Amino acid sequence: MSNSSATLSGSPPGSGKSTTGRNVLAWVLHNVVWIWLVALVVLFGLFNQFFFTVFNLQNVMVQATVLGMLGLAVALPLMVAEIDLSIPANLGFSSAIGALAYSELGLPWFLAMLVGVGVGTLIGFFNGLCITKLRMVSLIQTLAMMIILEGALLAITQGRTITNLSDGYVWIGQATVGGWPIMPVVFIAAIVVVGIMLRRTVLGRSIYAVGGNATAANSAGIRVDRVKIAAFTIAGCLAGLGGFLLASWQMAITSSQGSSYLLYAIAAPIIGGISVFGGRGNVIGVLGGVLLLTVIQVGLAIVNVPSFYVGMIGGFMIFIAVAIDAIRVRYFG
Amino acid sequence: MSLQSSQSEKGDVVLRVEDLGRTYGAVIALQNVTLDIQRGTIHGLLGENGAGKSTLVGLISGQRKPTSGTIYLNGKPIEHADVKSMEHAGVFLVTQEPMIVDHLDAAENLMLGIWPSSKGFVNWRTLRADAARMLEGTGIDPRMRADKLDAVARRKLNILRAMFSGGNVIILDEPTTSLDADDRTELFGFMRRLKAEGVTFIFISHYNDEILEICDAVSVLRDSRLAGGTKDMSTMTSEALSELVLGRGLDLFQRKRQDFGVESARIEIRDVAAQGVRLEALDLHPGEIVGFTGLPGSGAKELARALFGLIPSSSGSISLGGTQGTRLPGHPTEAFDRGIAFLSDDRRRDGLVGQMSIDQNLSLSSLSRLSKLNFIDFGEIRSISARYFELMGIKAPGGDVQVDTLSGGNQQKVCLGRVMATEPRLLILDEPTRGIDVGVKQDVLRIIDDLASRGVAVVIVSTDIDEICRSVDRVCVFAGGDVVEEITGADITNQRLRQRQTA
Ligand SMILES: Nc1ncnc2c1ncn2[C@@H]1O[C@H](COP(=O)(O)OP(=O)(O)OP(=O)(O)O)[C@@H](O)[C@H]1O
Ligand SMILES: [Mg+2]
Repeated sequence: MSNSSATLSGSPPGSGKSTTGRNVLAWVLHNVVWIWLVALVVLFGLFNQFFFTVFNLQNVMVQATVLGMLGLAVALPLMVAEIDLSIPANLGFSSAIGALAYSELGLPWFLAMLVGVGVGTLIGFFNGLCITKLRMVSLIQTLAMMIILEGALLAITQGRTITNLSDGYVWIGQATVGGWPIMPVVFIAAIVVVGIMLRRTVLGRSIYAVGGNATAANSAGIRVDRVKIAAFTIAGCLAGLGGFLLASWQMAITSSQGSSYLLYAIAAPIIGGISVFGGRGNVIGVLGGVLLLTVIQVGLAIVNVPSFYVGMIGGFMIFIAVAIDAIRVRYFG
Repeated sequence: MSLQSSQSEKGDVVLRVEDLGRTYGAVIALQNVTLDIQRGTIHGLLGENGAGKSTLVGLISGQRKPTSGTIYLNGKPIEHADVKSMEHAGVFLVTQEPMIVDHLDAAENLMLGIWPSSKGFVNWRTLRADAARMLEGTGIDPRMRADKLDAVARRKLNILRAMFSGGNVIILDEPTTSLDADDRTELFGFMRRLKAEGVTFIFISHYNDEILEICDAVSVLRDSRLAGGTKDMSTMTSEALSELVLGRGLDLFQRKRQDFGVESARIEIRDVAAQGVRLEALDLHPGEIVGFTGLPGSGAKELARALFGLIPSSSGSISLGGTQGTRLPGHPTEAFDRGIAFLSDDRRRDGLVGQMSIDQNLSLSSLSRLSKLNFIDFGEIRSISARYFELMGIKAPGGDVQVDTLSGGNQQKVCLGRVMATEPRLLILDEPTRGIDVGVKQDVLRIIDDLASRGVAVVIVSTDIDEICRSVDRVCVFAGGDVVEEITGADITNQRLRQRQTA
């Protein structure tokens, strides 16, 4: 125990330079999402000046909002080493319920919206129950739930698009302050709330612990089941809110609302550093992943890439981000 | 130094490491180690926690790549070694932490990577037969899923795999932790037999008596460097070994035993029935340290787990100091709330969250106490973490270091700190000093002693007889799920306990 500090903090003689070089590399790789993001913004901007306009910036922000809510929602079950594939389907289904509560039951729009978010939350809660109490495998259970919800949405809408939404309901998706859309504020608020929850609350710590080693967390006095249920429930709530925002923004709910988001909603948090094995990552990472994917989507639409290539190029860009991240994990842990 | 053998002896050297070093970022785990291991000997490797022992054998076995230096096997330098190629060359490592695939059964774990096969197809019949032969007399069911096995059985699986591997260099990284006297004797018998056949061993242990019993030579690491050693064990003593390891003399701890008799304030445990436990009555006293011993399955470990709510109990009550007896806790959360804390004997499995930091682990079980309205009081957490970091003498650059990167003994200190930080009234410790070096062990025993003097009742479940003798007031010997004998006062001796353990 005596002179341990000398060993632990001292660097090998003559290796000072390579250590700094290594540190810089480590820093770059740790922030690869953000660097890649900046690089792509510059790249797209060079191709088309329009990319730098305020209008486009606003567009990116609005687009990022729904994906962001979904990305946050997907992140939470991932952090407790589970997965919820039903989140985009939950978004579509719960928003349709909210819309029906207004049009069929005649509830005021705000209450109807709350009903929708409540349904989303309940679905998340139910998923959590199935996974903890019935010990169902989350991958399959939520896949089944996804299919059920997508089917239910189709059944409810009978394949038609719901458009009779109240003015109050669509307000948040359309309102601007000084020309700036206010919808992204909800996403920012969600990031702040979830971020505080993860960093500052007992629940947040428990989520990391359960994701890191559930057996040890249990022995450390954490109720693992409850923590997992909480993660799924909050995820369901975020999906419900996302559903409201998407419907409000598009002023419509299609019979397949949300389902196209599935892969991006899963990719965003993982690109942002949320480990699929649980216990790792934070909301800032999710934000980075969401912005990166949104910039790729918007950018490819603006730069005159023939539409046949958009999917492929976008896929490559995601691939590179993930590959660089894998290299980071391999060399720097 | 006697370790650097002369060139003429080279023919006998089976393994040589030259100027070996390994760094992790800014942390130097090992530097400038040059060492020869003679063929057909048992070579002891000693050193404090974090000295670099596991790192050294990890490099030799191909688990990790050295950042500098060369390893020679049978005189030939080894390049680009990995575990597979080293095992192929006959070098087998039993790692410090059990390496077990949880959802495979015991037999499959034994044969992991060394499946009997022809043309790429696993020969299941041979596998089953071999495994059954290897497990004969161990009491381990070959068909039992590994996650259902206890820490000792998991440990044994790894050891047996190496013993039967047919390898010619077998490295054992703290194999004896949590093994009882019988298992140890058996392991040593095994090692001697294989040694006679020319197998070479590298044997890591923090127990001086084991080193003296079995080793033909020792090398000592200190602060990542080779600090000494000897090839002549005939004049070695336990004190001399400790001094080699620590670089100073060792002040062995001995608790002043107290007799608590029948005092009024008692912790009363009654009618506990759980898997492997059938206990009528047991009283503990605040301030008392009680040792639990017994063969595996005797109920000592099981009772400890049942008291903490880790295994379900069908009946049983506990009253903590004068209160009405209540049902045993149903979950660890409840146990902590009631002032019962427990340290598991398998830190990797249920002691630590490896990817969290030291500080986060230290405070993990105290979160609810250290928070208001669910919001964590970071000031409190920092001061508690700092306190236990200091108290346990954890060797790390800081509290934000990830627990995974600590040496085994330092991980154990984090575990111990975590349960102590809950400020329990009843502290149950299953193998508390598992993997902790001789010096720090005395510190830990002192800390436990100090806790007791402040009114905490402590239970130590341990197979380490010497440790029990030095630290407890009373020993409860378990068999068949109940206490069959209580030993107190001057009757607690190494001899008496050893008798009980082998009986
Ligand atoms: N992956 C890693 N990243 C950073 N540091 C590491 C890593 N692995 C080991 N170390 C450091 O290397 C040093 C030597 O560790 P090692 O595990 O070899 O010690 P040890 O002698 O086996 O100790 P113990 O008796 O406690 O098992 C320690 O300071 C440890 O923190
Ligand atoms: Mg070690």
